[in-house]
This record gives sequence, C-alpha cells and structure tokens, in this order.
Amino acid sequence: MRRKQLAWMLAAAMVLSLLSGCGGSKEKELNIYTWEDYIPDNVVAEFEEATGIRINYTNFETNEQMLSVLENADGGDYDLILASDYIIDIAIKEGLVGKLDKEKIPNLANIDPLYQGFFYDQNDEYTVPYAPGIPLIVYDPSRVTTEITGYESLWDPSLEDSVGIMDTERVITGIALKIMGESFNTENADTIRQAGKMLLDLAPNVRVLSNDQTQDYLLSGDVSVAFLFTSQVVLALQGNPDLKVVYPKEGLGFGCDALFVPANAPHADNAYQFLNYILQGEVGADISTQVWYLCPNKAAYEYLPEDFQESLVISTEEIPEGEFIMNVGAEALAVHDEVYTAFKAALD
Amino acid sequence: MKKRSKDGLLIAPLYVFTLLFVAAPLLYMLALSFMQRAEVWGVEAAFSLDSYRKILQPVYRDTFVESVKLAFTTTFLTLLVGYPFGYFMARLPAKRKSLVMLLVVIPFWTNALMRMYGWMILFRSNGLAEQALLRFGLIEDSLKLLYNYKAVLAGMVYALLPFMVLAVYSSAEKMDWSLVEAAKDLGAKNWQAFATVTLKLTLPGILSGVILVFIPSMGLFFIADILGGGKIMLVGNLIRDQLMSTRDWPFAAALSVVLMAFTMLFIWTYRKITHSDELEGLL
Repeated sequence: MRRKQLAWMLAAAMVLSLLSGCGGSKEKELNIYTWEDYIPDNVVAEFEEATGIRINYTNFETNEQMLSVLENADGGDYDLILASDYIIDIAIKEGLVGKLDKEKIPNLANIDPLYQGFFYDQNDEYTVPYAPGIPLIVYDPSRVTTEITGYESLWDPSLEDSVGIMDTERVITGIALKIMGESFNTENADTIRQAGKMLLDLAPNVRVLSNDQTQDYLLSGDVSVAFLFTSQVVLALQGNPDLKVVYPKEGLGFGCDALFVPANAPHADNAYQFLNYILQGEVGADISTQVWYLCPNKAAYEYLPEDFQESLVISTEEIPEGEFIMNVGAEALAVHDEVYTAFKAALD
Repeated sequence: MKKRSKDGLLIAPLYVFTLLFVAAPLLYMLALSFMQRAEVWGVEAAFSLDSYRKILQPVYRDTFVESVKLAFTTTFLTLLVGYPFGYFMARLPAKRKSLVMLLVVIPFWTNALMRMYGWMILFRSNGLAEQALLRFGLIEDSLKLLYNYKAVLAGMVYALLPFMVLAVYSSAEKMDWSLVEAAKDLGAKNWQAFATVTLKLTLPGILSGVILVFIPSMGLFFIADILGGGKIMLVGNLIRDQLMSTRDWPFAAALSVVLMAFTMLFIWTYRKITHSDELEGLL
C-alpha cells in the first residue's frame, strides 16, 4: 500500500515537473550568448552595477551550434549574441537578426569605420564589431631549423610531426588555396580538390589539430610551429617572448567576431543599453586589453596602454590585405568537406 | 481488471517519457536522414537518398572502416586483460572481492573527460612522465607519447576496461563451480575443464562485455580528440563535425542511423546466441 502511494506521488511529481518552467519574463534581464570567457567578467559586473540589469551569460562552443539554437528559438530567447562573421551572414539571411535601433546606441559613432561595411553587414544595420583579427604563424626558433616565411613552410619535411594547426575546415583548406594563389572563397571544385591533394602532403607534419588550446601546445613544446588566431598569438608571446611571428607571404586571412541583437530578442532595449555601455572609450579599451584582438573602438584608442599595439603584433595597416572566409555554395562546401575529411583521415 | 488499469496509469509517465524523449528524437533523426541539406543553412524537406549514398564515398566509408577496426582492436585488448581480471576477481574471498570491486569502480566517480585530461598532463611532451624519465636518464628526447593512434587506443582500453571486467565478473560470479569440479572428477584436465565448462558458462559475460565495449568505442569522440590531438577521425567525430561545423544535418543523421543499425545488429546477435534479454553486468 505504502509503495503504491509513493508511486502515485512520484508520478504526480513527474507530471508537475513537465508543467513548471513556464514562468513570466523579468524586465531587468539581459541574455547574452557567446563563447566562454569572451566578455570579461569585470565588464559584466560593472554593467550590472551601473544599470541594475542582471546578465545571464550562456556559452556555445561553435558558431553552428549557436545558429541552430537561435533558429529553434525563432530568433528569440537571447538578447545579444557575439559570433563570427560568416555565421552572422547566414543568420541575417535567415531573418534571425534584428536591425539595431541606432537612436538607442549613440556610442555607435565611436566605431572605427575601418571595421564597418564588412560583407555580412555592408550597410552597418545589424552588427557591432567586437574582435577583428588576423591568424598568423608562430614558431619556436630554438626548435626549428628551416626558415618559416609562409603557409608553404609548414610543408617543410624538417617539421615532421611538429606542427599545430586549427581544426577549422575552411581555414585549413584555405591556406592550401592561398599557396596556389587562389581565393579562400573559390567555388571551383577542381581547385578545391587540388588544394585537398596538397593537404595530404601536410599530414605527416601535423602533430595536433585544435581550435582552442593551440598556443598551449606551442608553449609546452608539443609542437614547434603553430598557426594561431590573433588572441592565441598574443597569449603564446606572453608565455614565451622568444617565439617568432610570421606574416604568411601568400596572403593574410581576416575575420571579425561581432555582436548582434536577435530578431525577437525579449529584452532588446537592455541589449542596446549594453552595446552603448561597451562602446564607451574606457570600457572598450578594457575589453580589448583582455580579449587581445584589434580594438574597433576609436574612442578607446586614448585609453589603450602604450604597449598594447606592440603586444598585439598585428596592426590596422594589414586589414586591407586580409581576406574574409565567406560562405560558399553547398556544392563547393561539400567538396571542402570531402577533402578535409580525407586530410584528417591521412593524419595519424 | 480494475486493478490492472490503475497500474497502467501509474506507469503512464514512463510511457510518455519514453515516447517523448526516446522514440520521438529517433524518428526525427530517421526522417532527417532522408532529407536534403539546404543551400546555405538547414534542411529541405525533400526525399533523398543522397546522405546514404554519401556514406559509400571512399572518404566516409574509410572513416567507418577505421572506426570498426579501432573498435575491434579495443574490444580484443579489453577482453585479453578483462577476462582474466573478471575471472580471478570472482574467485577471490568475499572481503577482497568487494575491495577489488571498489577499485574498479572508483575511476567512474570522475568524469571520463577529466581523466583523459589527467592523461594529457601526465604524458604530454615535458609532462610529468617524461620529466621523470629524463631525470633518471632513461630517455634523451621527447617520446611523443600523445597525439597518435596508439594513445587513442590506450585511452579507449583504459576507459572501457571496467565494462568488460564487470561483465565477465558477473557471469563468473554466478557460475556453479561444482560443475568444474565434476568435470575434473570425470578426468578433465584443468584446461579441458576451463574450455568445456567455464568458458561456455561465462560466454554471456564475454559477449555482453564485447557489446558494452565495442559499441561505445565506435563513438567516444572526445578520447580521439584529446589523446589523438584531433587527428583520429572516428564515426563519432564525423557525426559531430557534420552537425557542428559542416552543417550537413541529413548526412549526420544518416551516419547515426547506420551506427544504430550496427548496434542493433550486435544486440540481436547477442540475444540469439545467449537467449537472454539482458546484458550481463548491467545489474
């Protein structure tokens, strides 16, 4: 008898738990969705203190994960999302991004025009640039005998089993395309296949494929050459100032992570308030000196420490040379995937 | 009759739960696998067998073959170590038995991912293991222990060994040892008694262990990622990549369907051989 009562209670509890979670929305809230640790904690805390708005910071691991979540939420649930250029391009085309209410963000005027008008938002209606950067090659001169001048150097036989690169399909097939003198964004299947063939020769040199800790492998000595995102370049140099940085002679890549407000954001006004807050000069400088990307905020320039530019390695002058990796058609993408999978299968 | 309908009501939440969280996602996955990817993002609801055809492309087929190979090797090695382990564990005196059992289970208290990171700290270049070996003059240069196939294999065997041990143990534990004695009384030598009696009676344990090891080892992509330095591509990695970066969801779904078909085939074979509904070692 007892047991039966317990079973009833449990059954009731299960049904009840299905119904809960349909609470009302609170106004003093801001749901931010981005990678872990991408907006500095102190900036979040200071904004909360200044405005009384509570920030819920949720993380995703990949851009694609973010977009599928946003799509399932029909452009809602989140108020502010920070993601990469190419995925924002898709999100805008899918109608998941809201136009910024510029009147509510007077500090938009602080954005350096150098970081505006990019392919994903040519009229600057949807996004606020946050972290622009250029991936570079970094190597440890004490462990490398050959001269490193560009992507091609990574193929050098003396570097067997000692190269670390990012596990990002389009970037890796992209460097082979660059060596061939092609664009990252070619849609010619034969050209992409040819790049794939080149990658097979790179395979014996690759020791590690990683997106988020490649600089650690360089510092620990697991690899002696690495191809790194801007912030990783800075972290590597901070860990070991003797490392050398190379601007690949075949041509630079360029990328920009930016902020946008989803089309059906529940607290869009709070998002505008946050954007306006971080676009202040002092806050902008605080952010850039913590995330280690180019600073897109010209009002922040006077607050940047003198050695910031030096530590960052890259400068604004290189931007016009950098090429964005943009979205290509499904057919070209399928070829990219095929050759990249073959490349990964050739690794050991 | 009345009593029965009341009982039915009690287990209704379980049915609802199973339908909602097990059956529905699986059907969704099955449906997705017959659709087409859209030009830039998402899927088009048009019937197509392209995703299944794509699996047959050499690049992707090889990933399957490699995964199966790794899974077989892993299973073989865990069996090689796990069978004697489980067998002798069952023969220990009760007190020792529970101690060994505790030691086998303790690693489960820590997430497998954490343990793999532990391996990284131990075995990476200039890591603790290499520093110790260097200090004693046993090696001169880095051994490059990690980020290769062997490291992934070792990690797989390490992570999955307890499943084999527990499966073998549970069937050896249930065994009627007087049968072995009877065999010996009737003149069987030790190995004959083992081959004809013990091995047969522990077969359900072996097969259950094989399933419990083989199936996860096809999909444990984080071990391949961490210990293989992202270089070892298993079906699990491929599905993850298709879903998370290449965004070809129908292809990811088709890969998952085929992987599940494999799994069902294995379990069906197990049930045919052992005439049992439950896997040994899973309580």
